[in-house]
Amino acid sequence: MVYNENRSQLEYRIMKNILSLLVLGFLPGWLIAQPSENWTEVNLSITDSQIIPRYSAFANSSAGLAAAAQSLCQATNAMNLENVRNSFHASMDAWQQIQHVQFGPITYFNWNFRLHYWPDEKGTGPRQLDELIAAGNERVLQSENFSRESVGVQGFPALERLLFDDESLLAFREDRYRCQAAQTIALNISEIASGVRQRWTDEFRTTIANADERGFFESAEDATIDFLKAQVESVRRIQQQKLEEVIGESAARARVRRAESWRSDRSLRNIKLNVMALDNLFNDSGSQSIALSEVFQTEDITVINDAFAQLNAALTPLSDSFEVLLMEEQGHEKLLQIAAHLDALFEAFEAGLKNTDLYLGFNSLDGD
Amino acid sequence: MKLDRRQFITLTSGLLSTSVFAVASTSSSKTPVFLSAASDGDDNHWVIGFSQSDKASTELFKHSLPGRAHHIAVHEGLGIYLVIARRPGKYLWVGDLDSGEPLAEITVPADRHLYGHGVFSADGNYFYAPENAWQMINGDSGRVVVWEVKRDDKKTPQFSMTRVKDFPSYGTGPHETLIKSDQRTLVLANGGIRTHPERGREKLNIESMQPSLAYINATSGDLEEQHFLDGQYHKASIRHMDQNQSGLLVVGLQYEGEPFDRVPLLVTHQQGEPLRELWAPEPQQGQMTQYVGSVRFDNSGRYVAASCPRGNMITFWEAKSGDFLRSIRSRDGCGLCAIDNGFLFTAGTGRITYYDMRDDSMTSLDSASSGKVFWDNHLSVFAS
Repeated sequence: MVYNENRSQLEYRIMKNILSLLVLGFLPGWLIAQPSENWTEVNLSITDSQIIPRYSAFANSSAGLAAAAQSLCQATNAMNLENVRNSFHASMDAWQQIQHVQFGPITYFNWNFRLHYWPDEKGTGPRQLDELIAAGNERVLQSENFSRESVGVQGFPALERLLFDDESLLAFREDRYRCQAAQTIALNISEIASGVRQRWTDEFRTTIANADERGFFESAEDATIDFLKAQVESVRRIQQQKLEEVIGESAARARVRRAESWRSDRSLRNIKLNVMALDNLFNDSGSQSIALSEVFQTEDITVINDAFAQLNAALTPLSDSFEVLLMEEQGHEKLLQIAAHLDALFEAFEAGLKNTDLYLGFNSLDGD
Repeated sequence: MKLDRRQFITLTSGLLSTSVFAVASTSSSKTPVFLSAASDGDDNHWVIGFSQSDKASTELFKHSLPGRAHHIAVHEGLGIYLVIARRPGKYLWVGDLDSGEPLAEITVPADRHLYGHGVFSADGNYFYAPENAWQMINGDSGRVVVWEVKRDDKKTPQFSMTRVKDFPSYGTGPHETLIKSDQRTLVLANGGIRTHPERGREKLNIESMQPSLAYINATSGDLEEQHFLDGQYHKASIRHMDQNQSGLLVVGLQYEGEPFDRVPLLVTHQQGEPLRELWAPEPQQGQMTQYVGSVRFDNSGRYVAASCPRGNMITFWEAKSGDFLRSIRSRDGCGLCAIDNGFLFTAGTGRITYYDMRDDSMTSLDSASSGKVFWDNHLSVFAS
């Protein structure tokens, strides 16, 4: 169990900001006319064109990661290590594009936390990983046992720590158990990714389709709210947790090691992928499909898309690395601008969503 | 009871802002009247009274409040309802049950704030409300203040509340408060979380918090009995509770640790015995998302409803056995009260729903308030 005041304060601040987002945008006339049928249409369109394909991509890339890790332990050499690192990036790329969905199967069995326990401001994960490797217990690495280990050793941050160190290759060569641990973590990520995909295709899509019947959801509209929360609350979390916690008030006060993937030096890439996925969720569910923008008024869609455009224009040219960007003369200023653009996007959602009966949360966000 | 009078406040009707709209008097109605705090998206806060029929709720009155409120205590003998400010609020707002009209607004001293809960003694002579004495940084800052309540004639607006006693809650962050049926013993849910008004609602002591359930002599303030959760669960804040006819308590917890930790979110307690943990099977235990917002017994005292607004669900349990029965979906559902053969519950979405325990059926009520107000955490009821 880990917790500390900083994390508490940050979560409090995020909750406070999200609480200000009380209501979400006007419904188009056709939705008012036949809300229930069309909520389901929106939900299924997003499910089929955005959610399941992204989880499939995540499952496929993670299977590649597991295979690459196995090869590394069979032949521990520089080329295989490079392959695993590339596979890690591919898997993380896919995860970052579906990380915003925090409802449905990803919440089963603590899968979300087991995949990616972060932020970890107390360094619990690294400490527990060191202890696990020092103990060298083979039974711990058996799949049925490993899933019951601390979330701090089960997912991406733990694997990143083993893979992205200057001495990784040497360490794997000197300690076979260390490589087996990396292999087990990669397999665990793959199994979770595969499990989430399967639950969506086999079960949760049907749950979404039947949301108007009494069951998991209260109504199809209730399911749409979960998609909207994924859309809107993610913007705030990216701004505050992934960006502002890192960049500080000046370049000198930046804390790069607070970044999400500082060891693999790809934390800004994560943000780029997050924003791209959110943009797609709002705008483009694929050809002839309905995106989440359908629940907003036309003029609000324009404002939100302008905010996305400005954010993307500022974000795209940047390095994938906080460290590299912060060494640039205007690097810190550019990051502050990204934070401002994220804030503007959140505000655009807030303004656009204020005229509707849909509601993100009240007691659930700031209860007592 | 030896009364230690520290402060005297008498307020009468007419001092308060007028009602926004009093729709109807409830005096001729025989149906239950429900009371809840509510807010809207523009930082307006209300107390709303409504009645319920088969398929609809009817708003009876709606009055503006000085800030967000939490629980509403009711005393039918005095004919009053009392709205308690949500922490760190400082007001007690009193209304007339028959008309819904305001009677008084009382503010706690500058160095105190309320915790959103309080309870009347059965005879209506006293009101007990937990407060935060935040300057007591080296010890427990939780206090329980005893107010003497007077309303000589139910038909007149004359009303007074006087602070007469102030004793420790034997913990930090006291929250829901009950009085046992013998009227001798108060039960305090000491949430364990230290806050300071200058830091808003920020939680200042998560790593060291020590929630407890304290039984306190209502006259002397002496501690009679105190219970703590198993040490590994010390971050489970003891917040809300209800009691049934046999004195069994059900207590709802809010866990401040990691979202994936396995912790109990409900306990039951019979005075003189140890706490008993209640566990739901997976996936329901996990779906409760470490947070119970309100707990209430049904009218029989056999069943318990526990709302989980973060998990968007209401859970049902058998109190004596501790068995989990079932859960139902309710987005942001939190306010609960027993009615007929089940529960009425309110949600932050504005929805009001009746759930019948006999046949597991739900009826969503049409509501004039739905979509326009967001019901706060707690729902109260009285039979007019």
